[in-house]
Amino acid sequence: MKINHYLRMLTFGITTALFISSAYAAETLHAVGSTTVMPIMSNAATAFHKIHPDISITVSGGGSGVGIASMIQHTAQIGMASRETTDGERKQLDNQVENIVIARDAVAVVVSKAVYLGGITHLSLAQIAQIYRAEITNWKQLGGPDAKILAIDKEASRGTRHVFAEAVLGSAHARAPGASLISGSNNEEQAIVARSNQAIGMLSNAWLNDQVRGIAIDVDGVGIKPTIEQIRNGRYPISRGLHVLIAKNATPATRALIQFLLSKAGQDIVKQAGYLPIR
Amino acid sequence: MMPFLKPSLYLSAALTLVIVLAVPVFLLQSSAPFWATYGISTIAATEWFPYEQLYGMLPAIIGSTWAIVIALSIAIPCAIAAAIMANEMMSASMASATRLGMEVLAAIPSIVYGLIGLWVLLPLLQHSFDLLSGHSLLAAGLILALMILPMITLMSMDALKQVSAEQRQAGLSLGLNWEALLFRISLPQAWPGIRSGILLALGRALGETMAVMLVVGSLDRMPQPITNILQPAQTLTSRIGREIGEAAFGSEHFSALMACGLLLALMGLSISLFAHVRGLNK
Repeated sequence: MKINHYLRMLTFGITTALFISSAYAAETLHAVGSTTVMPIMSNAATAFHKIHPDISITVSGGGSGVGIASMIQHTAQIGMASRETTDGERKQLDNQVENIVIARDAVAVVVSKAVYLGGITHLSLAQIAQIYRAEITNWKQLGGPDAKILAIDKEASRGTRHVFAEAVLGSAHARAPGASLISGSNNEEQAIVARSNQAIGMLSNAWLNDQVRGIAIDVDGVGIKPTIEQIRNGRYPISRGLHVLIAKNATPATRALIQFLLSKAGQDIVKQAGYLPIR
Repeated sequence: MMPFLKPSLYLSAALTLVIVLAVPVFLLQSSAPFWATYGISTIAATEWFPYEQLYGMLPAIIGSTWAIVIALSIAIPCAIAAAIMANEMMSASMASATRLGMEVLAAIPSIVYGLIGLWVLLPLLQHSFDLLSGHSLLAAGLILALMILPMITLMSMDALKQVSAEQRQAGLSLGLNWEALLFRISLPQAWPGIRSGILLALGRALGETMAVMLVVGSLDRMPQPITNILQPAQTLTSRIGREIGEAAFGSEHFSALMACGLLLALMGLSISLFAHVRGLNK
C-alpha cells in the first residue's frame, strides 16, 4: 500500500518534470525589475509572442535595483530599470551589459485627492524637500487643509526613489526623516495614496488617476505639470529614461524583443502606457 | 516490496538531518563576513542605512518581538478557548464544522491575509486610533494572530480529543465537577499537544513575511517610545523581504540580511528550547 503510494508520487513527480521541461523547450525570456517599465514590457511581451509564438516571455517586478542585480547574477535575460546604473553596479556589471533607453517618463510628485482639492496643486522642490526632511509636517503650513502629512518613501533600491531623492534631496540615497511609510512597487504606493486623505508620494506619471493627483512643480515661479508635453520639452524637472538591460552576448530572441520595443509598434505600446516614446 | 522500506526510511531520515543542519550552516556561513566586520554590537545599534554602512538591527528585532507577542497573546487564549468549546461543549456536528472552518482558514495563502489587512484592517485601525495610515506593529500582530489561530486551535482540539475517556470517567466518578475535570485532567493531559501547536504557530508568526510586509509600514526606526505599537515599524522578515532582491549575492548588504535571518532562526530556536526545558521540568 505505502510503497504503491510512493510509486504514484514518484510517477507524478517525473511527469511533472517532463511537462515542465517540454514547456521550456522553446525559448523563454525572463524580464525582471522596475515596475515602471513593467507595463511596457508586459504589453510588448504579449504583442511579441503573437509574432513569434515560439518565444515566451515572463515579466516580473521587484524594482530597478532587482532588475540590475538580476543582470549581475545572470538570473534573467532582460533587466528593467527606471534609473541609470550606479558606479558600484557598473563595476559589477563589468561592461558585459548593454543599456538601452526605450522610453522617457516623469517622476510625478503625487498627493491624495483631498490634499489636491484642499489647495495643494503645486509645490517647489525646496518645499517637497522640507516635507521629506520633517521640517514641514502639516499641510496647513503650505496653505492646504489642516491635516498631518503622510509622506511616503520608497524602498532604497527603487529607481523612482533614486531619481526623486536626487532631484529633491540632493542624493539618491539621502535619508528622509520626514517619511512615515516605506512602500515598494508603483501599485503599492498608488494604493496607499488613493486610500489616504493626507498623503504625498512619488510615482511614475503613468500611475496618476483621479484619486492620485500629480502636482505641478514650481520652476522659476511657474508650475510645471508632469505631462508628456512637459517631459518632451524638458521643462519638468524630475524626468528620466526608462532602460532595458541585456547581456552583450544576448541570444537572437532577446535582441529581437529589443528591436521590437524600439520599432514603431513597440513605441506605440510605450505611448499607450502613458510614457514618452523616444522615437 | 518490503525490503526497500528500511533503507528508504533511513535515507529519508538522513535527508531530513542534512536539511536541518544545512540551514544553520548556510546562514552562519553567509552572514560570517558581516559579523566579522561589524561585530555582535551591531545588534543593539538603532540605525539601518545600508548605503551608509550602518546596519543597526535593534528596530527590526523590537518590531519582530512586538509582532509575535501581540499575535500570541491574542491567538493562544482564543484558540484554546475555541478548542475547549468545540471538544467539550458543542455537538459533534458543530465541532466538525469548527474544524472545517479552521482548516479552511489555515489553507488561505498569506498574501490573501496581507490584502485583507491592507484593505480592511488598516482603514479600521486608522479610523479607530486616528492614525496617519494604520500601518503599525499592532496591524502586523493582529494579522499574525488571525493566521496562527487555526493552527493552535486544530492542534489543541486534537490534543484534547486524545485525552482518554477512561481518565475522564475516573475523574467524573471521583465527583469532579466540569471545571476541575477541565483544569485538572483534560488540559494538563493535552498540554504537550497544545504546546506543540503554539510552537509551530510561533514559528509561522516569526517567519511570516508577505502579510507582515504589507501592513507593518517597513519603516526602519525605533518605536517612540518603545511601547508604541501604533506607528509604522519594521520586522526582520519584512526587512529581508524588501531588500533581498537588490542585495547582490555575496555583498555586504546580502551578508547583513543573512545575519537578520540568522537572528530570526536563533529567536525561534531559543523560544522552542525554552519551552522544551520548561516542559521537561514539569
